[in-house]
Formats: sequence, structure tokens, C-alpha cells
Amino acid sequence: MKTRDIFAFHGAAIPALIVTSSISALGFIWPFLLPHEGSRPQWIFALALPFALILLYISVSNQNLDSKSIALLAVLAALIAALRPLGTGAVGIEPMWFLLILSARVFGPSFGFLLGALSMTLSALLTGGLGPWFAYQAFAAAWIGLGVALIPRRVRGWLELLLLAIYGVIAAAFFGFIMDLQFWPWVLGPDTQLSYIPGGAFSENFSRFLSYHMLSAMAWDVPRAIFTATLIVIAGKPILHTLRRAYTRAAFLAPIEFKRATLIAREKAGREVR
Amino acid sequence: MITFSNVSLVYPHSTKTIIEDLSFSIVEGEMVLVMGATGSGKSSLLRLINGLVPHHTGGILAGDISVDGISTQAVKPGALAHLVGIVAQNPANGFVTDIVEEELAFGMEALNFPPDVMRKRVEEVLDLLSLNPLRHRSIASLSGGEQQRVAIGSALVMHPKILVLDEPTSALDPIAAEEVLSLLHRLVHDLSVTVVIAEHRLERVIQFVDRIIYIEGNGEAAIGSAEEILRRANLVPPIIRLARALNLAEIGTSVREVRRATEGIRQRSFIEQVPEIGNNEIAIEVKALSKNYSEKIALKSISTEIYHGEIVAIMGRNGAGKSSLLHTIVGVALPDKGQVRVFGGDPYLLKGRQRRITIGYVPQEPSDLLYSQSVVSECEQADHDNEIAAGSTFALLNRLVPQISEKTHPNDLSEGQRLALVLSIVLAGNPEVLVLDEPTRGLDYQAKHLFAITLKEYAKKLDRPVLIATHDVELVAELADRVLFLAEGEIVADGSTLDVLLSSPAFAPQVAKVMSPKPWLTVSDVVEALAIEL
Repeated sequence: MKTRDIFAFHGAAIPALIVTSSISALGFIWPFLLPHEGSRPQWIFALALPFALILLYISVSNQNLDSKSIALLAVLAALIAALRPLGTGAVGIEPMWFLLILSARVFGPSFGFLLGALSMTLSALLTGGLGPWFAYQAFAAAWIGLGVALIPRRVRGWLELLLLAIYGVIAAAFFGFIMDLQFWPWVLGPDTQLSYIPGGAFSENFSRFLSYHMLSAMAWDVPRAIFTATLIVIAGKPILHTLRRAYTRAAFLAPIEFKRATLIAREKAGREVR
Repeated sequence: MITFSNVSLVYPHSTKTIIEDLSFSIVEGEMVLVMGATGSGKSSLLRLINGLVPHHTGGILAGDISVDGISTQAVKPGALAHLVGIVAQNPANGFVTDIVEEELAFGMEALNFPPDVMRKRVEEVLDLLSLNPLRHRSIASLSGGEQQRVAIGSALVMHPKILVLDEPTSALDPIAAEEVLSLLHRLVHDLSVTVVIAEHRLERVIQFVDRIIYIEGNGEAAIGSAEEILRRANLVPPIIRLARALNLAEIGTSVREVRRATEGIRQRSFIEQVPEIGNNEIAIEVKALSKNYSEKIALKSISTEIYHGEIVAIMGRNGAGKSSLLHTIVGVALPDKGQVRVFGGDPYLLKGRQRRITIGYVPQEPSDLLYSQSVVSECEQADHDNEIAAGSTFALLNRLVPQISEKTHPNDLSEGQRLALVLSIVLAGNPEVLVLDEPTRGLDYQAKHLFAITLKEYAKKLDRPVLIATHDVELVAELADRVLFLAEGEIVADGSTLDVLLSSPAFAPQVAKVMSPKPWLTVSDVVEALAIEL
């Protein structure tokens, strides 16, 4: 027998994870998939994504989360959610990403996924930014948490920090990219040179989107990437250490053994004879 | 109610047996004390009762523990939650909500109690623990004793049959401690709640408990009545040491009993000892010091002088202004009015190295000073900062607490070890003044004795002042030359330890209560006086 492991997706939660992630992925990339001019489906997705998120939370909570995982999730989600608005106003300075990435590194990608989704939901509630975009942000953060799995487990020391910093840059760029994708069909109005053409050719739409993204990226994504990577390099070592200590102290998967009292008495007697 | 049969416990990744072959049973409505040296496994024993060990921590558990007929092997800790209420060492860490009433209801909300039941039970507990006047207060604004009562209340609303408390009085002043203990006593007698309590300050609890479980360091444990256990234990309160020193036939656990037994000694007359007159050179000067925190007055025009080589204890209720006074003397807070001079200089202006060699400060939460990942790196940092030979800090630490592992994370140390570490780091700087805020929480008698010796050595040999804020009357009796007694931000008594402690019944140490009206505070005072007479 062992104590419970830290939260990880398994069983029925895996199909739920795949389904909800696919729905939200469609919600991001629909502008390129629509074959002909017609009604814009963004309204469908604006409704579908929050439901997908709720479905995800339900499937997770049905897994009977252990109190230790809940405690870790709650504390880290609260921290991350509180860190996020610290940088409001400043361009792309969001001090939440580095902590999300480091936590996902220590506690595993499943935990990272849930932590990303939860902390975004929580910070939306905290800051009152509960618009149609919040579910998109939640999934984007969740994928960033999940993606930490790309870094090999065994790596430690400066190489680990370097890889995490690089991942931080990629994650920051990724977040900017897909949030732009979500925003782009709405923001410009129908008639500019960068606007989305409903039903237009993929190549045409994609190049328009890229131009739009490059413009916004300069202002948001580059500072975000630099900021995140810098924080990981500066604060990474002590934070990783602290989180790893918490992981050890929480005694996940620690063996539990129940013995009959007589057995130990006999062992003891045996020891004395020897 | 609780039965341990042949229980042994080993934690995972460890070869040390925490508890070995322990058998006892506690009946309903009994109050049992768990005592033992720092780090001997008292907390583990308490957590075995509600199944947190080993279900939460892992480990090998041999033998069987049954709580109200339920084996803790068979069920998860959650299934025992309604049976066993647990109050952790520092209640402030366990509070979830802001308001007293809400905190009391929180546990029931989590278990989905119907609202009318919750309402009724909250009212009951408010009355039972006299918390009614505090019901709408924010928990952060309560004193330590009040917080402890709220913590006990939030365990009691679940109507547990067993209440488990880990050092419930260690952070409390003597009056608040008395309040909490007599409350527990009442619960045991009126409601037949079974209470298991771990505590270092035996002098406070011993008179209330029915039996004692004594855990010796090697995993061996004994259980018996207070007299039986204390007759042969190493860790004993002053009252027992007094009985031993005087070779009394009966060991009493209350002041009344020992007082009767020592009738004859008190009637003899002794030569009064003239107190030595110490150094008269002023080291610290405090003039008309005032400090407010928004509405609350922390210090009201305080003036005093501290001399070289003097150990001064600052006492008073929780929230009397002890910490505020220390903060301004150390120079981490600026007073609103008045001034502080440490060796003629303003402590607030001290910086960096100059500060380290002038004032050594051990804050209330010693871990605030620790930020390295291991004991040894913490010590190396101190060696480096103070430009002393490598290893000196660790050597000092080793003298204070012998078996400390170099690689341990500071947060994994026991309360006493952590204090020793911080003290070594501070002393490594060889400061001119030493200031300590509540340093003896969670220390057993031996550790406390060692601590007192170290401080005395520092003050007397080097002729330097030591300021210490504490609730620990016995420590003050053993250590201090002078006591400043604060109440509501004012000095209400300032005099020699003997005069101040003897004049206040609540703050008198046990030996003084027994020997009153003789002017003796500690066992060694009594022994010395008797020796002179002989």
C-alpha cells in the first residue's frame, strides 16, 4: 500500500482531456478551416469553450483528488492568480508564467495542465476579467503547463534552468500567438488589409494573420518572453528547490505497511539471537 | 476509547524507530499528557490517533490502534474526522477564514451539515468557550489565548469524542495558558471528552492530567500516573526537581501538595543573601518611547536603562507591547516619539556589518532569518559574513545541540534545533547586545537549561547586555537579573527578578509558590540557602 500519488490524468479523465482540448483547439483555429463565406462560428465557440472547461473540472473532481494535491493546487493557483495582475498595464509583463512553468516541472504535466487552467480561471474571477476570452486563456495556460513534459525528466542543474528558460520563451510566444489568433477575427473590423476574410484561402488569411501577429508581438510577446526567461534564470533555482522539498514533504507514493505486532516481536527476538 | 496494542512506527526512508512496541489504552473522559524530549516523536504519536500517520505520511505501522472501536488501519483519516478533533501546534496556521463565527462553522460546512444544525452548534460552542463577545471579531485581531480557544472551538463543533492538542500553551502567557488548560479540564469533566495533549511546559499541565505517556528518546515509552512517571523521568518540572532535591518521600504534582510537605523547611530561618550590585555603565537608553499602530497604542512613553552585563526579561500578556519595544531597540521599527540609544547611537541608522556586530537579534519566528537550503550552508554563510574561521558557527551549534545533521533543511529541524541554529548564527557575529523575542517555544527542559547557560556565559563573561521577551516564568527565574513588566504599552513593574516575580501570583514560578514567603525562585536557590544554613 502507498499514500496517494500527486494528481495525474488517468482513466475516464483522459478522453475528457482529449475531447475538451480538441474543442478548444478548434475554437482557436476555426478561421483557417472554414471553407466558404458564411456565418462566423465564433459565437458557438465562445459558448462551447467555457462548457469544455467545466466538463474538464467535473471529470477531474470525479477522480477523487487527494487532499494533498488539492492543497498544492489551491496554494499554487492562488499564488499564480495573484501574481498575474501585478504586471497590469505594463506590456506583457506577467509574472505568472515562470511560476506556472516551474510548478509544472516539479509536479508533472497533468498537474501543470490543471494548474494553468485553474489559475487562469481564478485570476479572471479576481480581476473581473470574465469575458468570452477567459476560457481561451485558461486552455492556453493549461497547454503551457502540459508542454513542460517536453523537457526530459532527468535533466538537473544549469541545463535544466536553461531548458526551462528556453521553454519560457517558447511558452510566452505561444501564448501571444494563440491569443492573437483568438482575437484577430474580431478586432480589426471587416475592411482593413490585415482583417480576416471569411471563407478566404488559407494562404491569404494566414499571411494576414502573421502580419497582424508580428505587429502585436513586438509590443507584447517579446517583453513577455524576456521577462519570463529572466525570472526563470534568476529565481528558478531556489523556487525549484522549494517546490521539490514540498513534493518530498508531501510524501506522495510513500509506502504504507501494516504489520502484525507479533511479527515485529519475532523479528526483534531473531535479532537478539543473532 | 483509544487503544494502542504493541504499536511500532518507522517512517519511510528512515531506519529510526519512532515508537517501539507501545501499548496502552485511554478510557473515555481521561486527560492524558504525552511528554518527551524535543523531536522524540510526540507529534507522531498524536497523529497516529487520527490516522494521519501512516495514511498521509507513509511508514510502517505494526500492531493495532483502535479509536472508539475503529481500527485506524482500516479507514482513511477522513472517516475519523468526526471522532477525533485535532488542534495543531500553531493555531494561526490552521485558520481558514477571517471571522470567529465563520471559522467555527467552516468544518461543518465542509462536511455538508444542514444550516440549522450548524447554527445551533456554533451557538453552543460560543457559549461553552465563552467566545460570544468575540464572535464577530477578526481572528487576526485576537490574542494568542483567544486564538487557541477559537482553534479548540472549531474542533469541538464537530462533537468529537477525542480532542488531540499539540503544545496548546507554548505561545501563551501564563494567564492565557491557565485559561486554556482549565477549559480543557472542564471539557473532560463536564462533557467526558477524552483529551490527549503534548506539552513541554510540564509545570503548567501536570496538575490537570490523569496520566502521562512518557516517550524516551530510544523509542521506549512508559505510561502511568503522574507520580509514577515523574518519579523516574529525566524531564521534570521544577516542582519535582525541588522534591528530589529536598529528598521528599512523596512526589506531589501540585503546589498545594508540595507546600504541605515542605512546611518544616519554610519555618526555619535563613540568612538573607544580599544581591550583588552589578555594573552601572549604561548600554541601552530608552527615553519616553511611544509607538502606535493605527488605532492601537503599542508603547506609551516608556523610559528605561539597560546596563552592561545585565540580563533583562521583558514580560507581560500577549499584546502588551513586548515585541514593539524590542523592535524599536533593535532598530527595525522607528518610534513615533522618544528615542533609543544603543551605546550612544541610534540603532535605526545601523547598516550591514555594523548592525551585525552591534545588535544580535533573534526574532519571534527564528526561521525568518534562515534562507539557505541546509544547516551547513547557513553556517558557512555566517562564517563568511562575519569573517571568522570556517566552521566556527557550526562548532558553536554543535556545542548547543550535539547531534544535528549538516545536510538537514532548516525547516526540517525541530523548534529547539532551529532556535539553536539561529542563536549560533547571531552569536557568530559576536554582537555587543543580544536581543531575543520569545526564544523558548517548543524547547524541553534540557534544551532550555543549555540555552540559559549559553546566554549567562555571554552576558557575564563578556559583560554585555541581554534582552529577552518571554512568557516563560521558569526561564526568567533561572536566567534574568531584572524584569520589566509591561501592560498596555506601559512599564508597570521594573525591578530585580526576585521582587517582580514574587509580587505577582500569576507570574510566580512554581518553586516560589511552594516556598512563599521565602524569597526563592529556583531549585538551586533553595539548595544554596539550605547549604549555607548547614
